[in-house]
Amino acid sequence: MRVSLKWLADLVDITLPVEELCDRLDMTGTKVEAVHTLGEALDGVVVGRVLTREQHPDADKLSYCSVDIGAAEPLKIVCGATNFAAGDKVPVACVGATLPGGMTIKRAKLRGLESQGMMCSATELEVGGDGSGLLILPDDAPVGVPFAQYYGLADTVLELEVTPNRPDCLSMVGVAREVAAVTHVDYRVPSGTPEESGTPVGDLVSVEIADGQLCPRYTARAIRGVTVGPSPAWLAERVAACGTRPVNNVVDVTNYIMYELGQPLHAFDMGTIAQCDEKKAIIVRPAGEGETIRTLDGQDRPLASDAILITDPSGPIALAGVMGGETTEVSDATTDILLEAACFDPASISRTSRRLGLISESSLRFERGVDPDLAARAADRAAMLIAEVAGGTVAPGIVDVYPGKRPPAHLPLRVGRTNEILGTSLTREEMSALLAPLGLGVTPVGDDLDVTVPAFRPDLEREIDLVEEVARLYGLENIPSSRPGGRGRIGGRTPAQRFEVRVGATLRAAGLDEHIGYAFGDRADLERLTWDLASDEQLVELINPMSEEQSVLRWTLAPSLLRAVSHNRRRGVSDVHLYEMGTVFITADGRKQPKERLMVSGALAGAWNAPGWNEQARQLDFFDGKGVLETLFETTHAGRWSVRASDRPWLQPGRSAEVIVGGDVVGWLGEVAPHVLDNYELTGPVVLFEVSVPALVKAASRESISYRDIPRYPAYALDVALVVDEAVTAERVTAALRSAGGALLESVHLFDVYRDPQGTPEAQRRLPEGMKSLAFSLEYRTADRTLSEADVRPVHDKLIRKVCGAVGAEVRA
Amino acid sequence: MTITDDLRALEAEALAAVEAAATLDELEAARIGYLGKKGSLTAVLRGLGGLTADERPIVGKVSNEVRQALEGALESKRARLEGTARASRIAAEAVDVTLPGRHHPVGRQHVLHQVVDEIVEIFSGLGYRIAQGPEVELDYYNFTALNHPPDHPARALQDTFYVKDLSGDRAAVEGESDVLLRTHTSPAQVHVMEAQKPPIYVIVPGKVYRRDVADPSHLPQFTQVEGLVVDEGITFGDLKGTLEHFVREMFGPDRRVRLRPHFFPFTEPSAEVDVSCGICGGSGCRSCGGEGWLEILGCGMVDPNVFGHVGIDTEKYTGFAFGMGAERIAGLKYGVPDLRHFIEGDTRFLHQF
Ligand SMILES: [Zn+2]
Repeated sequence: MRVSLKWLADLVDITLPVEELCDRLDMTGTKVEAVHTLGEALDGVVVGRVLTREQHPDADKLSYCSVDIGAAEPLKIVCGATNFAAGDKVPVACVGATLPGGMTIKRAKLRGLESQGMMCSATELEVGGDGSGLLILPDDAPVGVPFAQYYGLADTVLELEVTPNRPDCLSMVGVAREVAAVTHVDYRVPSGTPEESGTPVGDLVSVEIADGQLCPRYTARAIRGVTVGPSPAWLAERVAACGTRPVNNVVDVTNYIMYELGQPLHAFDMGTIAQCDEKKAIIVRPAGEGETIRTLDGQDRPLASDAILITDPSGPIALAGVMGGETTEVSDATTDILLEAACFDPASISRTSRRLGLISESSLRFERGVDPDLAARAADRAAMLIAEVAGGTVAPGIVDVYPGKRPPAHLPLRVGRTNEILGTSLTREEMSALLAPLGLGVTPVGDDLDVTVPAFRPDLEREIDLVEEVARLYGLENIPSSRPGGRGRIGGRTPAQRFEVRVGATLRAAGLDEHIGYAFGDRADLERLTWDLASDEQLVELINPMSEEQSVLRWTLAPSLLRAVSHNRRRGVSDVHLYEMGTVFITADGRKQPKERLMVSGALAGAWNAPGWNEQARQLDFFDGKGVLETLFETTHAGRWSVRASDRPWLQPGRSAEVIVGGDVVGWLGEVAPHVLDNYELTGPVVLFEVSVPALVKAASRESISYRDIPRYPAYALDVALVVDEAVTAERVTAALRSAGGALLESVHLFDVYRDPQGTPEAQRRLPEGMKSLAFSLEYRTADRTLSEADVRPVHDKLIRKVCGAVGAEVRA
Repeated sequence: MTITDDLRALEAEALAAVEAAATLDELEAARIGYLGKKGSLTAVLRGLGGLTADERPIVGKVSNEVRQALEGALESKRARLEGTARASRIAAEAVDVTLPGRHHPVGRQHVLHQVVDEIVEIFSGLGYRIAQGPEVELDYYNFTALNHPPDHPARALQDTFYVKDLSGDRAAVEGESDVLLRTHTSPAQVHVMEAQKPPIYVIVPGKVYRRDVADPSHLPQFTQVEGLVVDEGITFGDLKGTLEHFVREMFGPDRRVRLRPHFFPFTEPSAEVDVSCGICGGSGCRSCGGEGWLEILGCGMVDPNVFGHVGIDTEKYTGFAFGMGAERIAGLKYGVPDLRHFIEGDTRFLHQF
């Protein structure tokens, strides 16, 4: 809501400087979003007097004038307007001035003659009125004075954020009431009744309301014999200050009253309304099935059945509360006005205006709720003003159909309860003194108050609404601060939440940065990843996505990480280590809401470090990813886990694996397949992994950590290299060593894997074709003494023989 | 020449040899030459067997003296040579300490989660638990139970993301789904109150979604932290004191807090909370738009209608709720000019915090 302080001053005494007034409004719940100083836009426009006007020698339609602007030399101005003569006072834009439309005045040659400025029309200055010629100022206008100052345009406009519960503050009177209440002064409500003559309106107009729910009140007045034309300056200026472009004197009055009192009005060209029983017949009813209306912007609007229509016997003539109809629009030829001041159902107006994308000052007010008591007063005042600015006579009386009339609401306010909620110790009298200036009727009843709520405050429906009024007028800054006592509460994270914290900390310690990506996904990622959904799985689809790329919810974190890697690469960052912990979504037929699963994923690309003066950069690969998972499982005690070679279509075959905990597949790990790298414009290797966090939590909850003695005696270590078939996995050999190791074998550490390089000539081969050598270091130890070779050797030899038999290995010489 | 003289001569010769040794190896050679198994002094001592009983004590004494002198000289020379050797090794090993160190990469927590964790820590200390809720919500939890009227504009398709409902009922077919991406963390309030009786002290961090085009000051997805307290005797003063404590912990003890009355459907009385600008201290500057204050959160007393939906006795219990955006707080704290940085994963951004 834009509030002109000049206008506001007519309604309430402004006793505070602007800045303090703004603070006061801020602190009582009406936020001042901006303060505009008007008139600044017209810097460089001054009042001038035309000294001479001559015909331009080379252009029929131009004149060449000498204009006094109070400077030493008159300006020479070439002008295209015709509605003026020497001696007239006009606004003159000097060289350098920028007009509200954005045009900057420059010295210019027009058909050979230099023009040193521009004489302006009302339209060019956006002050309302006629654009067909220069704005001719009264004779007493002082030459040389800034036009904005002379024309009274200098004003301060406050832009107020009016919260949805305060429809009353969408009017100057409402704001004046609020300012009065918060600055402890009185305010004035403008009123006025028109002089009436001729046939009573009741004989000219009939009104019928089909549904009192949709239209609680409809009033009509008639003004006959008006002359539609430009508004006087004061009216145009005020409407413009509120942010509406002046149109003509009749429409401007309706807007003026809307801003002043908060009652949207509509003026019909009465001559165009169809009659019934020799009266202009207004019928307010819901739209019929498939009904349309042509609104005054020339568009045919299809209507839903809950839209409210103003109709006459011939059909719809206005879309109630939203926009007028084309056929009954007031034009320059209009002489008789039917003035509507009504009240409509907020929900219906809201739905209709949003459905049609027609959001107007009128619909905004109706959807928040207009005081039904206001209609007749607003109609009276508007009729009076129309007669004043557009001439004509006001027909006696008002047609007023008011099916929704209600007695004023009474609310009890318990003083004790109010203090209990706020933490204050206000007395009944103090509360009463806070509420009364808002226009509420406050009567003591016992220890408490009975509050009569006027219709302009539809937000006050419950005791708590009054408690809020007490709080904001008392001042939140005056409420003493405290903190809850709260016996018996427990704070902090749950075990699962603590586990999530540890997962993040471990991954960071392992060198991964945390990424947060969009939860939105792209269906095309299925293709980019060559990812097949299970037959019973479906992606979660958005009904109203912002874009195709964000039209589903992600079912894996992989694209989010691949995109982040790609983003970094495009900006020249080659070493990227990221993890993300986030929800993934998958749904299925028959499900209302999807399954939400917390996953943790990582991506490794490039090297851990850029090459340094004393170290080399090492390309990260599968085993770096695996190492991160090893660290994760060890540090978080998430149980015994293993990997199993397993192809996923988005991972490179032979470099991908499933992560298994307790027999269940809980995730996957591998290097991204080359075709997928291409799809994300990446070069590899890029290692990716994804693991279910709840599965880790579950595994960790089963794991109990218990102390083991620290060894006091040294271990006895023996190395062995075993030559096995390529198909025999390291895990299988390690497991065989462990299981056959007996009590003395403490640890098995794989320290080398050897293969003859590809293409080694037969003569130089160190291993048989298709074989590899795995070198292990075995540590033997016992708790109560130092082992000797004599203790270990027989055990070791027996172990190796057993393992060789079990996995088909030979000891490498 | 007596044997004693021989010994003395040998002593002089040996001491000279020791003194002449320039390295530890030469010194060792000298030691072996005189005191080794085949050393000259050893040979002399071995010849003592042929002495008379009178000579033996005298020669024995002298030879001991010679041996001790020689050993002493060897030891001190060794010490000197070792000192020199160490000093030269140290000199050789000197490095340019300004060269960069070897770097073990350690990842950073995302700045938004640093902020969320900080908030959670502060409220954990005040006795709050952490609650979570689904990101795909029902209209009931996101709006209805939070006292939003049926025609509340936030419900509109242009503001809220709706999700296809596969349950097979008619609404889904018509496309008027009541399944949506939560627009705030507040629906978790309702879940908590349904699941648990007061006293309730919870903090709810999580992602929320609104249909905004990503630009420097909007994202369609952002991070919110919600708080809810329901207990006997909770007052607006408690809310105010709690948030004042929070702001001082989060932004520093010299920052001021103000509450401005505002409107939210699910709280009443409601307020917006401003913190004094950290740059100008409240006098107004460019970073606070001249206001001196920065808006950081919304709050209020839980509306009785919300309690009504979850069956909490509004006469017995009162409560408060508050919510804030992690992006907003991180943006203010670190001066991040474009929210999109938070979601791009640029490691040069992530490494700044
Ligand atoms: Zn500032």
